[in-house]
This record gives sequence, structure tokens and C-alpha cells, in this order.
Amino acid sequence: MFKKVLVANRGEIAVRIIRTCREMGIQTVAVYSDADRYALHVLEAEEAVHIGPSEPFLSYLNAERIVEAARKTNAEALHPGYGFLAENAEFAALVEAAGLSFVGPPHAVIRDLGDKTKARKIMQAAGVPVIPGTMEATTDMDTLCAEADRMGFPVLVKAAAGGGGKGMRTVAGPEDMREACIAAISEAEKAFGNGSVYLEKYLVNPRHIEFQVLADRRGHVVHLFERECSIQRRHQKIIEETPSPALTPALRESMANAAVSAAAAAGYVNAGTVEFLFVPPDSFYFLEVNTRLQVEHPVTEMITGLDLVRHQMEIAAGKPLPFEQGDVVRRGHALECRIYAEDPTARFFPCPGPILLYREPRGPGIRVDGGIYQGFEVPVEYDPILSKVITWGEDRKAAINRMLGALRKYPILGIRTTVPFLMDVVQSDPFNKGETNTGFIEEHFPNWSPPEKMHRLAAIAFAAAELAGAAGTRPPWEAKEPATPWQTLGQWTL
Amino acid sequence: MHYQLDIEGEAVSLGFSPVEGKNTAEVSVDAGTHRVCFHALPDGRLHLVIDGKAIEAFLVAVDNGKQVFIDGHTFLVRNAGKGYSRRPGARSADEIPDQVTPPMPSVVVRILVRAGDRVRRGQGLVVVSAMKMETTLVAPHDGRVAGINTAVDAKVAPGDILVDIEKEASKDE
Repeated sequence: MFKKVLVANRGEIAVRIIRTCREMGIQTVAVYSDADRYALHVLEAEEAVHIGPSEPFLSYLNAERIVEAARKTNAEALHPGYGFLAENAEFAALVEAAGLSFVGPPHAVIRDLGDKTKARKIMQAAGVPVIPGTMEATTDMDTLCAEADRMGFPVLVKAAAGGGGKGMRTVAGPEDMREACIAAISEAEKAFGNGSVYLEKYLVNPRHIEFQVLADRRGHVVHLFERECSIQRRHQKIIEETPSPALTPALRESMANAAVSAAAAAGYVNAGTVEFLFVPPDSFYFLEVNTRLQVEHPVTEMITGLDLVRHQMEIAAGKPLPFEQGDVVRRGHALECRIYAEDPTARFFPCPGPILLYREPRGPGIRVDGGIYQGFEVPVEYDPILSKVITWGEDRKAAINRMLGALRKYPILGIRTTVPFLMDVVQSDPFNKGETNTGFIEEHFPNWSPPEKMHRLAAIAFAAAELAGAAGTRPPWEAKEPATPWQTLGQWTL
Repeated sequence: MHYQLDIEGEAVSLGFSPVEGKNTAEVSVDAGTHRVCFHALPDGRLHLVIDGKAIEAFLVAVDNGKQVFIDGHTFLVRNAGKGYSRRPGARSADEIPDQVTPPMPSVVVRILVRAGDRVRRGQGLVVVSAMKMETTLVAPHDGRVAGINTAVDAKVAPGDILVDIEKEASKDE
């Protein structure tokens, strides 16, 4: 096993990776930008290397600086986390060329799966159902229009090199086709330096269901069941769960088999996720493979009892998977809510700033993966994810009730967060019935505002706090009297 | 004691009269009256018992009032009698602020107008980006662009006026 690993990320995921490394006896090196000098991941790691200014391009996206930091600290491996350079094939190649182990798939696999049309061809050849559409990317307008007419509208125009919704257009009918293609091609040209696009049939409000896979270097692939991630806003997942309320055992098995075939066909190594769009009652289509650890991986850990980061490290160190498919069992239900520094009353506008009060919920079946602490200033430069609350229960209802209990006890003050919005979604009727799809938020929560009935309670708390303060019962950090020795003396040790 | 409060934009008036010593009060809000026991605990929480029911609250002072956390919900409470200013960013999505300034620290991505341009109310002027999200700042009123006080890639903060819009004497063209 490696003696030392560099974690090329920040925030909650870096903290989470560092913790498993410590349990495995692996030393950790954090990297940080100017804004993150005292970020939690820096405080948790044994060593930390400054890699540049706050702008992501000059620090967390600066491949050379990160590899140099790994060399300088004699790290043997590099874990990329998610986001930033995690799915950048050139970065993985650079890490490999520097003689380090990249904790993820080989760079050639990342490159193949990052090319949307190439990935579709690999999957089709392996017998995995792909979304009906074209298999060749092109910029030729006549070809695109003819193909769209043949497929029938609505269609989705997608950039072959795409990602993050860039170079993507939904087209309702033939009259809009040319204009949408021109826009998608020019956007893709600007964003990826490659304007080629292809077509997919547009599926109306599908469910997003993905399968976690683990593959070792000997070609042994297992799946760790599914995660449903249909609750999204701005095409970004905010609530995930496993198992999916939409799958029957038979469907689960055929999707799992497809996911394992997909990973095997791509020559996959390490932890990965095969994403599908699911159209009830029983159609599913390959969407893409995420060649990294996912944000929502903890729900899988909760129901299988497996530590995905531990297995990533072992696979990267060349060890074979220590179990067979039949050994993987699941128990109960797990739910994850992503907590973002965003104002849910103002269209989820990002809301960075200092965290003045922070208290994590705890109790049986509650896990919080966080990257912040009281007094930390959430930087403006990065993704606004603060933490994730994960709950486990014997069944879905129990996991939901635990989630509600946890969110109710999760004060994060000084900024605005998505906590109150998530509570309403988790409590809602359609969510409890398991009636979720990717259009859920737009359909049920288009213009969310907090319940006004609680305003009176807030008013009473405000007035009571003023009086309680006046009565001299201030919190300790506001104490005005000089401290007594009983407060300043530390623990006695002989 | 009487409080005139503003809670997330809603006006709430509250009467608060201490009874039986310093930690109990008779509270009147709207038409109802409640008996409230309150204790500020040393770990920062405020323990309330309202008509016999226990409730836990956390409060912090922010620039323009107090943020109150109860049962997973967070409210900005301002003492309207004390003349707090409006919470930045609290405006509704359709309302246009009267200055061309970012709602939060951001980086300028694109400038959509040039000095001397005529602009209409609501027209996009500057696109800023914060935490991977782009926002377009729009003209607060019709007028002429008198000056652009920023550049692409500049770091800007709330209060920085990025574009000056000069109101023109209304004349029909």
C-alpha cells in the first residue's frame, strides 16, 4: 500500500478522502489556494502545499503545480476527488508520466468515455441500450436536419466533447432545428474547441438512475447497486437515494448487468458510475460513465457497508477486489441531501461569506460529510457545496424521517443555505410516494418560499434573545467579565 | 416592551412583558397571547418554552439584523424601529436594484455595453460570475451609459458601481 497520497481537491470531498487514508495508515498531503489557507481539508491533512492564488485556473486546475507538489512531498499516489481535474485525461496522463499512481481509471479510459459519441459506440457494441439518436458527430447542417426528421421531434442537440450542459439544445420541432444547431455548434466550438454535435431523442422527465461499479486491474468488475438522483435543479443533483423506489428486482438486475458490461467494455479500472435515464415502466438508456468518485457515493457506502475510498486506494495499489458479486449485500435505505451556500428564496443564488454559527446534527444513522467549520469564510471562487447529510434507515420512510430530524438540527448561520428548501422537498407528498423525475423541482417547487407561519416563532425568539442577553446570560464568547482561573486553566497532566 | 419587526419582508408587531422574574414573559403577537419561558444557554442555543412546548433556537447578529434558526428554517429578523437597512439580495427576482452593483463578490465575465450607449430599463449591462454561476446586471432605468468603471476579469464586490447610467431628460424621439 502507498505510504503517502496527495489529495488534489478541496472542501468536503478532500476531508472525506483524508479520513479514510488516515484509517489505512496512509499519510496525506493537502493542496490549497490563497483562499483556503485555513480550510478544513488543510487542517485535516498531515502536510499541506500552497499551489497558487484563489482563482481555480491558477491553483486547483493547475496540473503542473499539483504534480510538482506531489513530487516535492514524495507522495506515491494522487487522488483527484470529483470536479476540478478529476475527469481530465491529460491530467491523469501527466500524473502517470510523473511516476505516480492516479487513483482512478487509466487516462485512455477517461478520454474514451469523455468523448460522448465514442462512449455511445462502445456501449452499443457491448449490447448496452443507448438513447436513440445519431452515432457520428458532425457540423453538417443538412445531415443533422435530415436525421432529426427521421428520428422525430423533440430531439436534443449535444456537443460530442460536451459536459455541463454546454453546447446542448432541446429542439421541439423542425422549424427551430437549424438555429438550435448553429447555436450549439458555436457554443461547443467556444467551450471545447470542437464544434461537432450529435442528436439524441429527447426524453421527457426521465428518472436518473446510476450504478456504482468497482473494477480491479485484472478485469474483475462488480456493481454496488444503484442510486436514484432524479431530484435536480439546474441539472445538478441535490437529493440522492438508494435503492431507487422505481426499480423492481428484475429491472435492477438487468440494469446492473448492463452497467457491469459497460464498465468491462470500456476497460474500466477503479470506482466508476454508469448513469442511465430510466423511462417508466421499464425502459432504460445509457447516459454516460462518470470516471471518478461521485458526490453521492456515501449512500452506497451506507447500504453496503463498504468504504469506496478504501477500495479505490487498494485498486490503485494493484490489489485484486477482495470479494465477488455474490458477497455484496445491501441493507436498508439511504438518503443524501446536498447542502449548498445558496439562497433558495432567490433562485438559488450563491451565498458565500463567513459562517458565524455551525452545529452538525448527530444521532443513530446520521452521517455528515462537511468541509466547513464555525468561523470559516466560504470562498466565492468555488462550487458552493458546503456539506452533505446522509441518513440510513431500515426502510425508505425511516431514512426520510431521520433526514428531517437531522436537517431540523443543522444550524448554519451567517450565510443562506438550501437546508429549509430540502426539508420541504423531503416532506412533500410526491417525494414520499417516490414519484420523482428530473423535472420534479420545476413541477412541484417552482417558486419556493419558507413557511410564513413560522415568522411568529422567529419574532418571539428575537425578542427573547434580546431580553436573555440583557439578563446577563450571554454566550461564553461574548463574556464581558475578566476570565477566572477556572476558565483559563487547561487540563492537568502529571 | 414593544417590537416592530421585519421578518423576511413581513411586518410583525410583538408585545413582550416580563412576568415572574426575568426569564418569563407574556407575549402578544397578532391577536394571540402566549406565555414564554426563555434561557440563553452557554453553548449558544436559546431554549424557549412557548405555552408549555419546548423549542430550540439559534441566533447570530448579522450586518442588518439577526439571523434566527428554528427547526431547520432560517429567518432574517430586523428591528424595524432601529432603522436597519434592507438586506442585500433580499429583493424579489423581478425587482430591479437601483444601482448597477453585484449582489455578492464576483468576477466580471463580459461587458455588454459601451460608454455612450443608450440603454432601456432592464437591459443587460454586465455579466458577473460567482461560484460558477453567471448573473446579468441590468439597467435600473432608461438612460445613457455615462461611464464603465470595471473591466473583464475584475474582482468586484457589492457596493461597487460597475456602470453609471445617466438619466436623460425625457423627450420623445
